Amino acid sequence: MSQLGKLLGERRVLVCVGPGGVGKTTCSAAMGLRAAMDGKKVLVLTIDPARRLANSLGISAIGNTETRITDASFRSARLSPKGQLWAMTLDMKLVWDDLVRRHAPSEKRRDQILGNRLYRQLSTKLAGSLEYMAMEKLFELAQSRDYDLLVLDTPPTVHALDFLEAPNRLLDVLDNDAARWLLTPALAAGEIGLKFGSLGASYVARTLAKFTGAQLLQELAQFLVAFRGMYEGFKERATLVKALLESEQTGFVLVTSPQTLAVDEAIFFARALREEQIPMQAAIMNRVYPQQTGAPSVATLRAAGVEETLAQTLAQTAQDYALLARADHAAQLRLASVLGPEIPLHSIPRFVRDVHDLRGLWEVNEHLFGDSA
Amino acid sequence: MSDLFARRLLVVTGKGGVGKSTVAAALATVAGSRGRRVLICELSARERMPALFGTRPSGAEVGLITPRISSVHVRPNEAMREYALMVLKFRAIYSAVFENRMVRYFLRAVPSLSEIVMLGKVCWHALQDDRFDLVVLDAPATGHALSLLSTPSTILELVNEGPLARDMRAMQALLEDARRSAVSLVALPEEMPVNEAVDLAAQLRKVVRMARGPDFLNAFFPSRFSEAAISSLKKDQDPNLEIAARAARAYEDRAALSAFYLEKMRTELGRPPICVPHLFSESFGALQVAQLAEVLDREIPA
Repeated sequence: MSQLGKLLGERRVLVCVGPGGVGKTTCSAAMGLRAAMDGKKVLVLTIDPARRLANSLGISAIGNTETRITDASFRSARLSPKGQLWAMTLDMKLVWDDLVRRHAPSEKRRDQILGNRLYRQLSTKLAGSLEYMAMEKLFELAQSRDYDLLVLDTPPTVHALDFLEAPNRLLDVLDNDAARWLLTPALAAGEIGLKFGSLGASYVARTLAKFTGAQLLQELAQFLVAFRGMYEGFKERATLVKALLESEQTGFVLVTSPQTLAVDEAIFFARALREEQIPMQAAIMNRVYPQQTGAPSVATLRAAGVEETLAQTLAQTAQDYALLARADHAAQLRLASVLGPEIPLHSIPRFVRDVHDLRGLWEVNEHLFGDSA
Repeated sequence: MSDLFARRLLVVTGKGGVGKSTVAAALATVAGSRGRRVLICELSARERMPALFGTRPSGAEVGLITPRISSVHVRPNEAMREYALMVLKFRAIYSAVFENRMVRYFLRAVPSLSEIVMLGKVCWHALQDDRFDLVVLDAPATGHALSLLSTPSTILELVNEGPLARDMRAMQALLEDARRSAVSLVALPEEMPVNEAVDLAAQLRKVVRMARGPDFLNAFFPSRFSEAAISSLKKDQDPNLEIAARAARAYEDRAALSAFYLEKMRTELGRPPICVPHLFSESFGALQVAQLAEVLDREIPA
């Protein structure tokens, strides 16, 4: 059995990481499908404004709730799973609201936050918010549901490891001495003690207010005040999430494509995970042109009886394909040399058709596990 | 469509990895060859434009790529500083406020602020910088682009006084003025990139209300062989013919896919995109950008 197959059998949580646009969602869904075929109850979790997972699974829409892929869908793909495949798209706003409801110290405070205009505008845009909420939901599902396997398709991040740092970054924003110091003059008197001396702070706040208007600063202050008392809950939760990610239950799979930029980013990713001492178990290179056995020349084709114009186009096309394959092979070697012998690099060939249904996912699996279809 | 390059701001966006930067570079090249002085603004984490043109990185300062094309890598910290200095006028106040450790920490934490100043810088070049006739914005991928372009309206819902509100109104007016701005979508002939382009077009109409420039279908495989030509090859007689036929078949499969997604974009977006051919080359640099610019020059009316 391939290492990837072993991973599906042993871990409870699989996190797919890698650059955007390489087919991470497809790979996540394919691995989820494989585990479901083998008898597991699997949930594939994605963050998806463009509804990619819905595309990948050939179903029209997935809400913010866990949705089971129907028997009918499986039947039309000529598959009969021993287990169950579930999918879920995260709605960031709803996850945030849940979190506020859970951690708010009182109903009054909860309503203050949920009703704050800034909260409504910015909660989903706060730095690290997307990544943190994905981890938060993953943790909640790992704890409260009976799935054998959870596959998380991570959001494409600008900075490779945002999702690991996300809990801390988010707490930095919400539980932030700087913000409190800055906004103290804008706060109702008595709400927060003056920690750093008010003169400097009020000067700074007045200057900032020149840009934003005083109204925005006041609302920001109210927003942060409303969050007071919730940090402890957040922090505790963040620690538990991190522990889950670092535990033996969780595996990391790196997904990339052979494109130069994607490989650069994947290598950056692999190194960053290593520095964080988070072991990666496998890597997948998606959409690889298979190696060619050489390209015939115009003369060879002419000798075989092909007329001139066609011979030229054929020779050119064979050359073009050989070139694509060479470039992709070089990309594989480059990534493999960084991964080292411990981490297997699986390749999925570029299919003629895009993969966007169960049958297509199943064919992907043939290349990932070698023994499926 | 009126003259695309007579506008002040051209935004290029699409799904991650579809070749937005390449298309932006080729568009800038065409505009330059038609006499416009062009500035390319890059907002990605890593600067790519100078490498694409084979010149040295320009960094956060405007750098000359060709006599008619310049580029700048827009970064949040530098953009914040420039913006603050413009409003505050006095460097001493800037230092006291914006270089305050606490303030820096606070500002870094809220991403909308960096979007405001980055888009602000782009719009400043488009509106006020008379060194340039046209700004080409190599924008972030779909979701981020949408939130970037809707920043002015988001902020205006929260703030309606002061310099920030004034600037947001000016930015929104620029974006919504079809004579001055347009946005182009880039896709690949594949399912997900085309779907994202179609979704984004709808969102842009609803949320940002920007005029649309031409869309681009990148890495397009134009058909090379007729079915008859491929089946005429007597493959069983020669292994070389077998190899050639296999490559031809694979190529035509991709060409069929390209044609399928061209049709899909045409129907779902209501007009055909400009097809940008796939270039077969080991590397991608100045030569390839020039090749693509030639294609675009033919396709985009003067």
